[in-house]
Amino acid sequence: MRKIIYLLLFIVSSIHAQTKMTNAEALLLKEKVKSQAAKTNTITSDFVQYKHLDFLSNDIVTSGNLAFKSPDLVKWQYVKPFEYSVIFKNENLYINDEGKKSDVNLSSSKLFKQLNKLLVNSVKGDMFDKNEFDIVYFKQATISEVHFTPINKKISKYIKAFHIQFNTKGDVVEIKMIEPSDDYTRIVFSNRIINNPLSDAVFSH
Amino acid sequence: MRYFLISLLFLLAGCASYQQRNNFEIQETLDKVVTNVYFSDAALDYVYKANVAVYDKSFGGLFIVKKIAEEHHRIVFTTEMGAKIFDFSFINDQFKVNYILEEMDKKILLNILEKDFRVLVREKETAISKSIKDNSELFETEIVNKKYYYLFNEGMLNSITRANKTKEKVVFLFSEINNDTAKNIQILHNNIKLTINLKSI
Repeated sequence: MRKIIYLLLFIVSSIHAQTKMTNAEALLLKEKVKSQAAKTNTITSDFVQYKHLDFLSNDIVTSGNLAFKSPDLVKWQYVKPFEYSVIFKNENLYINDEGKKSDVNLSSSKLFKQLNKLLVNSVKGDMFDKNEFDIVYFKQATISEVHFTPINKKISKYIKAFHIQFNTKGDVVEIKMIEPSDDYTRIVFSNRIINNPLSDAVFSH
Repeated sequence: MRYFLISLLFLLAGCASYQQRNNFEIQETLDKVVTNVYFSDAALDYVYKANVAVYDKSFGGLFIVKKIAEEHHRIVFTTEMGAKIFDFSFINDQFKVNYILEEMDKKILLNILEKDFRVLVREKETAISKSIKDNSELFETEIVNKKYYYLFNEGMLNSITRANKTKEKVVFLFSEINNDTAKNIQILHNNIKLTINLKSI
């Protein structure tokens, strides 16, 4: 019996083969991401989204692409298995749901503005704000993972934590948004291209 | 006098049963169990792209149904980006709200959603009567004190209608049926401006 427990412990610890960073390592990563974010004017990337609900047999997989233009234009577009895009522009969301267009004004809701800002920042990975998050740094092989836990109760009611993975260059490769119920949305980026010219037309509705 | 007769006719027509209004011939009263197979496979995750039109507003999301056990279903609605809007459980006749976005936590709305989704996922119901027309069978049932009519065409469940003596209140339409899954589901309300369209993904 004891052997089984050891074995289980071993399996669990090998799955989470990540160790906490030292303060120096954490500082280094933070500086790298911040300087990378400061140099970033545009991002285009493909993504695959995995929606995990504990009671489902499989995660719900959707995929598409993303465009970001400094300082705060984001277009998030799903291509499979349906076409849906949302543009975050000024204080509005512009939605195109399989050709059906609509918009939502966020200016009256402080909370949605905050959530919106979080999303824009998470795309760049630059969420290192000690006033807003408890931040813990981990490392595993070539990937760094940072856990951001919102301090603001109004935010933490919606999102328990963001787990963001960075590659060695300090680019975001994966975002995991964990809900208070522990269900989560995991977004894995690929073909990420930085600072290719991007016309404003990409963000027109 | 003639007007009186005409209005009497209208009155009588108005009193006709749902079956009679739709030219169905009531056959027999029986204890037959009608089955809605569309959410009956516990091995499947039922995932739909949803569009909800309420008054002049419309919004989309993902509508997810899972059969957890016999007479136990979970229904979750999220935005396309994955944020949860509501999460309900139906266990036997019980309804449980596991989560609902604060802005939507309104009794009147919850009542409508509870009533709609209870019927949508309910697998077996005992029929009070059966009536027929051509190749169609119509089963009358009662779910939580409301009458629902299950319409089968050539053995396949095409619609469920909630109706009282005079009016159809809500219609559930099932189409593009394949392997016991309805690829397209519409929930249409006649008394309020609410339409829910579900497309399997």
